[in-house]
Amino acid sequence: MNKKMILLAGGMVGAAVFFGGCGTDPHRIDTSGNRGLTTVDDINFKDWQMTASKAINSLLASGVLSRQDGRKTILMISTVKNSTSQHINTKILTDKMRQAVLRSGKALTTTAISGSGAEDKATRQVRKLEDDDMFNQATVQKSGTAIAPDMSLAGEIIQQKTTLGRKSESYFFFHLTLTDLKTGLAVWEDNFEVAKQAKKPVFGW
Amino acid sequence: MKKMMLTGVAIVGLLFVGCQDTVNTVGNRESSMQREKVDTSRVSTDSFINRRLKIERVDKKIKPDGLMLVQVTAKNVRTGFFSEIGSWFMGDNPYKITYRFSWLDKDGMEVNTAASTWIPMTVIPGDTVRLQAVSPNSRCRDFILSLREDSE
Repeated sequence: MNKKMILLAGGMVGAAVFFGGCGTDPHRIDTSGNRGLTTVDDINFKDWQMTASKAINSLLASGVLSRQDGRKTILMISTVKNSTSQHINTKILTDKMRQAVLRSGKALTTTAISGSGAEDKATRQVRKLEDDDMFNQATVQKSGTAIAPDMSLAGEIIQQKTTLGRKSESYFFFHLTLTDLKTGLAVWEDNFEVAKQAKKPVFGW
Repeated sequence: MKKMMLTGVAIVGLLFVGCQDTVNTVGNRESSMQREKVDTSRVSTDSFINRRLKIERVDKKIKPDGLMLVQVTAKNVRTGFFSEIGSWFMGDNPYKITYRFSWLDKDGMEVNTAASTWIPMTVIPGDTVRLQAVSPNSRCRDFILSLREDSE
């Protein structure tokens, strides 16, 4: 009996050492590479990067940001609706796009207004200092000086799930629009797709 | 015995060729497009990818707003009997690549861009793909396309 117990304990320790050896230490990965985790139900960081890259290329190639009067277009980021079953922050996409638009030199982005309120509340807050004696009133920003946007970037992310036997699939559909706020007309629209598939093993998860 | 061996080899060959997923294309002979061809020295590839993916041409276009649009046309040349069998055994069928565009200003300094990332792509043998990118701003003068096999 004792021998059996020793053997069993030895086997368990051996198995623990064996499986413990399968793990990897935490390590950093290159965010521009393809070594990130890929899961079917989520939008992984590579999916965001690829979508942003394609969307930026499409938007800049369209040329709609350039104006005839020489003035730069003022762009506001409206709402990118999350119609997926996941909790996602669409700022990962819109922030990359607004940075690219700003760096292109074709447009300026406003942080004073966005789909979910002001990106930076300071523009409104500093105008409340007009009644504050502590501040030199000559240096206080006056009302009526902030510039209103000409265009708005909005969109929606839709997810469709499919399961067949042990196979599961997720299809993410990104729809983005750029609206001319003067006319309400969409001057640019594009769709970007991500499809992912996995097959569950016969045993385990 | 020899006959049986030859028949066996032929069957195995046909089996693998049957598994090859190739693309056949057709287009108009009289091309009406006008493109500006650029020197392909701006494309960097490794020796493995050179034998599988042929860079056919590199075109660029300066848009009216000053941004540069580039297009690299590449073809998966792993077609034909021996290439098909070889690519089957090498596991590069269909061939997975990953690419990235980098942009340089007039002084050769790399321009930081929010869109620069390695983008994976699958190229079926015989298929031609066109990799496109737009410069992040009008100060960009040159570009580099980096291509590598996607083994990750």
